Amino acid sequence: MSYDYHRPRSLAEALDIAAATPGARFVAGGTDLMVQIHKRAAAPAALISLRHVAELGGIDNGARLRIGSSVTLTELQAEPAVAAGYPALIDSMRPFGSRQIRNMATLGGNLCNASPGADAAPPLLVYDAVVELRDRAGAREMALEEFFVGPGETALAPGEVMTAILLPPRAGDVRSVYLRKARVKMDVATVSVAALVEMEEGSCVRARLAAGAVAPVPKRLRDTEGLLVGSPLDDATIARVSTAAADEISPITDVRSTADYRRHLTGVLLRRALERLRAAPGEGVL
Amino acid sequence: MREEVAFRLNGHDVAVEVDVHRTLLDVLRDVLGEMGTKEGCGEGECGACTVLVDDAAVVSCLYPVCEADGTSVTTVEGLFEPGGELSPVQTAYLEFGGTQCGFCTPGMIMASVALLAENPDPSEEEIRYALTGNLCRCTGYVQIVESVRAAAELMMERPA
Ligand SMILES: Cc1cc2nc3c(=O)[nH]c(=O)nc-3n(C[C@H](O)[C@H](O)[C@H](O)COP(=O)(O)OP(=O)(O)OC[C@H]3O[C@@H](n4cnc5c(N)ncnc54)[C@H](O)[C@@H]3O)c2cc1C
Ligand code: FES
Ligand code: FES
Repeated sequence: MSYDYHRPRSLAEALDIAAATPGARFVAGGTDLMVQIHKRAAAPAALISLRHVAELGGIDNGARLRIGSSVTLTELQAEPAVAAGYPALIDSMRPFGSRQIRNMATLGGNLCNASPGADAAPPLLVYDAVVELRDRAGAREMALEEFFVGPGETALAPGEVMTAILLPPRAGDVRSVYLRKARVKMDVATVSVAALVEMEEGSCVRARLAAGAVAPVPKRLRDTEGLLVGSPLDDATIARVSTAAADEISPITDVRSTADYRRHLTGVLLRRALERLRAAPGEGVL
Repeated sequence: MREEVAFRLNGHDVAVEVDVHRTLLDVLRDVLGEMGTKEGCGEGECGACTVLVDDAAVVSCLYPVCEADGTSVTTVEGLFEPGGELSPVQTAYLEFGGTQCGFCTPGMIMASVALLAENPDPSEEEIRYALTGNLCRCTGYVQIVESVRAAAELMMERPA
């Protein structure tokens, strides 16, 4: 297969090329798309590289933490503002692929590829991440939860680019963690979970739970997380939560695992995650 | 669509006209004749094709050649010392049994070089983590880890 390759320097140029080029795809790190092309699962007429688009790089610690969509996972791992405020996101980078993959892969690419098991998704869901999208008509913001539509499907319109991932500031006794289980190193997650709790006087006042690889999209577990609010993180609450999650997910059987095992594992990982949050006030732990 | 791509390869300037859809791996081997870099899987999983682009280890099988334009690329052929001697990492792999059939070796060595540049004194755990993306079907990894440790010692002994 053969395709054209464009290297725009600005966002405006990238959007113009996309509008003028039927069958073109954006490429960031290429660690998903180049594999799909190699396997003939994708056959783009042209690739529009986002690596040199200045507006998509960099991390900006303002009122919200703004992570450019083309920030690589290696850059993310080295960013003190991420480590300090969003430890579950850092947890999710540690087992991610390999050093070579993290040097190339971008945060935006991980979300836009929309794999149900994308490692960055559950942590970003529990942090209430918002994504910024832009096309030639203008920019819009959307909750990450709304962005995922199905396996490999997102809310991106044709020719639209994800420009940034925005994270609200963190305050109070907020604790968060990400856990994933895979068969071997370098394999994508069989199941992953992220958990966040905000504690006040021994009781949970805000909770977020999300899981990966157990539904068509990385999924926020809204019903299950509701069981935590107003309760202490005691054994009875944790047991109730880890059982309830099974009703909110719809795992499939595939080469990595059976649906039943995924359902079981989701409960186990949630229990472990909440036990760790109980033990570690004010900090995320792996 | 063809384009000229120009970069530094192992310290020398190269410029080649290429089909833009080719990967850096393809161009290194088939156009530039640098056969040190290997193709194992072609899908980013095995690390045999690891090279350094501006000192960062990448899998060249997934690296669009156009993205090499304006960069500095280092392959295993670029590791020789000025007098033509093997570099410490190469020497250590030979001495400590870090290579058997040799197919994974160039990629393994490039990933090791990148690790030691960043962390001159890595622990066994750090070495294993840094080499997660490099598969070897022969050695069982123990000698590879020993080779990287030995290379670290050699490099730390050398006057800077
Ligand atoms: C060996 C290997 C191991 C891996 N391990 C993991 C793992 O452990 N966990 C995991 O989650 N993933 C893993 N992956 C998958 C992949 O590395 C990640 O999903 C990565 O984050 C993708 O980012 P990228 O920049 O390389 O995306 P690309 O391949 O460049 O793009 C992915 C998709 O998103 C679109 N896109 C990219 N950026 C934008 C944007 N800004 N706006 C609009 N569309 C965009 C592209 O058109 C394409 O469809 C692995 C891949 C490989 C090859
Ligand atoms: S050939 Fe590139 S990673 Fe296997
Ligand atoms: S030495 Fe044979 S694959 Fe590593």
